[in-house]
Amino acid sequence: MRDRHLKYVLVLPAILVVFATAVWPLFESLRLSFYFGKLSRPNFPQDFIGLENYTWAFLEEPAFWNSVWVTASYTFYTVVLTTLCALGLALLLAPGGKLRRGVQMLLIIPFAMSPALIGVSFRFMFNPEFGLFDAFFGFVFPPLADISWLSDPTLAFWVCIMADVWGWIPFLTLVLIGGLASIPRDTIEAAQVDGASGWRVLKDVTLPQLAPVLAVVIILKSIFSLKTFDQVYMLTNGGPGTATQTLSHYVYFNGLKYSNIGYSAAVAWLMVIPMIFLTYAYAKFVFRKREA
Amino acid sequence: MAGISLKNITKSWGAFVGVDNQSLEVHDKEFLVLLGPSGCGKTTTMRMIAGLEDPTSGEILIGERIVNDDLPKDRDIAMVFQNYGLYPHMTVFDNIAYPLKVRGTPKSEIAPRVNKAAEQVELTEFLHRKPKALSGGQRQRVALARAIVRTPQVFLMDEPLSNLDAKLRVTMRAELKHLSHQMQITTVYVTHDQIEAMTLADRIAVMKSGRIQQLGTPEEIYNDPANLFVASFIGSPAMNLIHGTVKDGQFITAGGRDVMKAGKGNRDNIVLGVRPEDLSIVDAGTGDFDVPVYAFENTGESVLVTGQFGKQRITAKGGRHVRKEIDEVVGIKADPDHIYMFDAKGGGRLDL
Repeated sequence: MRDRHLKYVLVLPAILVVFATAVWPLFESLRLSFYFGKLSRPNFPQDFIGLENYTWAFLEEPAFWNSVWVTASYTFYTVVLTTLCALGLALLLAPGGKLRRGVQMLLIIPFAMSPALIGVSFRFMFNPEFGLFDAFFGFVFPPLADISWLSDPTLAFWVCIMADVWGWIPFLTLVLIGGLASIPRDTIEAAQVDGASGWRVLKDVTLPQLAPVLAVVIILKSIFSLKTFDQVYMLTNGGPGTATQTLSHYVYFNGLKYSNIGYSAAVAWLMVIPMIFLTYAYAKFVFRKREA
Repeated sequence: MAGISLKNITKSWGAFVGVDNQSLEVHDKEFLVLLGPSGCGKTTTMRMIAGLEDPTSGEILIGERIVNDDLPKDRDIAMVFQNYGLYPHMTVFDNIAYPLKVRGTPKSEIAPRVNKAAEQVELTEFLHRKPKALSGGQRQRVALARAIVRTPQVFLMDEPLSNLDAKLRVTMRAELKHLSHQMQITTVYVTHDQIEAMTLADRIAVMKSGRIQQLGTPEEIYNDPANLFVASFIGSPAMNLIHGTVKDGQFITAGGRDVMKAGKGNRDNIVLGVRPEDLSIVDAGTGDFDVPVYAFENTGESVLVTGQFGKQRITAKGGRHVRKEIDEVVGIKADPDHIYMFDAKGGGRLDL
C-alpha cells in the first residue's frame, strides 16, 4: 500500500512547481483578461468588464493590428528563409553530402547563443557609426555606407528577420540532417540509376520522403516565430515606432510599461488561437501512427 | 546491347583496399555472377559499374565507351538493389514508370510499357498499391519490373534475393533465370549464395579480398577449382580439405595414420580436397581406407557420413537408403578423377 502511494508523493513537488509557475498563471491571466486591470492603481484588478478587452483590441486599437501584421509577416519570412537555408545546409551536411566535419561543429555556435545575446550582437553589428555591417558595406559598396539600418522601419524589420534566421538555422539544420539520414540510401541511388538528375532526385525522391520532418520543422519554426520577443526587445525594442513590434512585444509593452494587465492578458490569449492550430498540427505529425 | 570491361580497377578508402587492381570482361548478353563472402569487393565492383562509386584508378567501359566520368543516369543501366530501393511514396505503377518518366518517354507509351513489365513479373493486380502494402516477394518483383521496363544496356543486381525467405528465393531464382533468358541483356549479379551463382550464371567470378580468384563457367568452378579458397567456397556440403603430405604417390594425413593412393613424388604441406559427393561409402576393407563413423546425418534425399580421418574428419555423401551407426567402421572410396591437391601455404592448386 505504501509503495502504491509513494510514487504520487514523489512527483508531488514537481506537480506543485508546474502548477505554481505554469498552470496557475495561465488561468489567472485568462481570468484577468476579463477585467479592467491597471496594476498602477489601487484595488487591482478593478472592474469585471467581460469581453471588452478583446473587442477593444479588435475594434479600437490600430496598434494591435499593426503588431498582428508585423508578427504575421515576420513569421512568414523567417519560416520560409530559415527552412530554405536549413534545408540547403542539411543537404550539404548530411551523410554523403558535400561538406561535413568541422562545419557541423561551427554550425552549433549560433544555436548555443541566447536570443537576447543575438539581439545585442546584431545591434552592435548594425550600429551606424562603429558597426561591423556599416564598415563592411562601406568598404564593399560605398553608397550603402551611411545607412542607419535600425532607424529605417523596413530595414529594421529585415535586420530582425536576419538575426532570427541566423539564430535558428542550426537547430533546424540538425533536425533536417536527422531526417535526411533516415531516408534509405537505396531509394536515392535507385533514382540516380533510373536516370534522374540531381535536381529530380531531390524533387521526386528526397523531398517527398523528407516531407514529414520538413512539416515538423515548419510548424516548430512558426511557433517560435509567433512568440518572438527577446531578440526584438534587445535589437530594436519594437521600433522605430512600432515597425518591429511583434505581438509578444505588444503584450509586454501594454502590460508592463502601461500596466494594462487586463488588456495585455486578453491579447496574449488571442495569440493562443494560432498556437493551438499549430500545436495540433505538430502533434499530428510527430505522434501520428506509422502505417506498417 | 553491350559488354562491360573493367581495366585495372582499384578502389581504396585510405589504407583499406576494397577492390585491388582488378580487370574483368563481361561479354555481351552474358549473365555474370560475382560471388564471394561479405567484404570481398563484389558489391563495390558492381557499384563502380553503376557509377555509384568512383574507382580510385582504372577504367570502366560499357560497350566501347569509357564511363568513368559519366553519372549513373547517363550509363544506360538498370539496377535491382538488395533492399529493393522502391520509392515508398509512389504507387507500384509510378515506381515502375519512374525510369521512363525521367527519361522523357511520351505519356502515351508509359502505361502500356509499365503494364507489360508488370505482366512479366505477375504484378498486374497490385499496380495501384504503395510498396508498404506489399509482401517481400512482391516488392522484389516491383524492383525487377522497374529494371526491365526499359531496355538498358546492362542489368546490375545486388543480392536481389537475399531478403526473401528460403522457399520464395528458390521460386524467384527460377523466374529470374527465365526472365534473363527472355531479355538477353548483359547482366552482372552479385551474391554470396553459391547455389544462386551456380544456377544463374553463364560465368562466375569468385572474389576474395578485392581480387577475382577464379573466373569460369559454373562447371569449371565446380570441377576445376583454381585454389583452396574457391574449392572451399563452392559446394554444399563443403569440400573435404585434409592436411597431410605426399610420399611416393601416397597421401598421408597429418595425423600420420591413414594413407591413400593420391599424387606423385614427395611433398610436404599438402591439402587434399575431395567433395563429399565424390566419395562413396563402402564396406570396411574394400575402399581406399577405413574410418570409424563420427556422425551420421540423414537429409532425406541423401545421407552424410562423417568419419574420423587421422586427426581430421571427412564427410561422404551416400544414397538415401544407407544407414550407419556411430563408431561403426566403414570403407571410403574416392573418385580418383576428382581429387584436388593444394599447397597448404599459398593455397594454390598443385598438379600432383
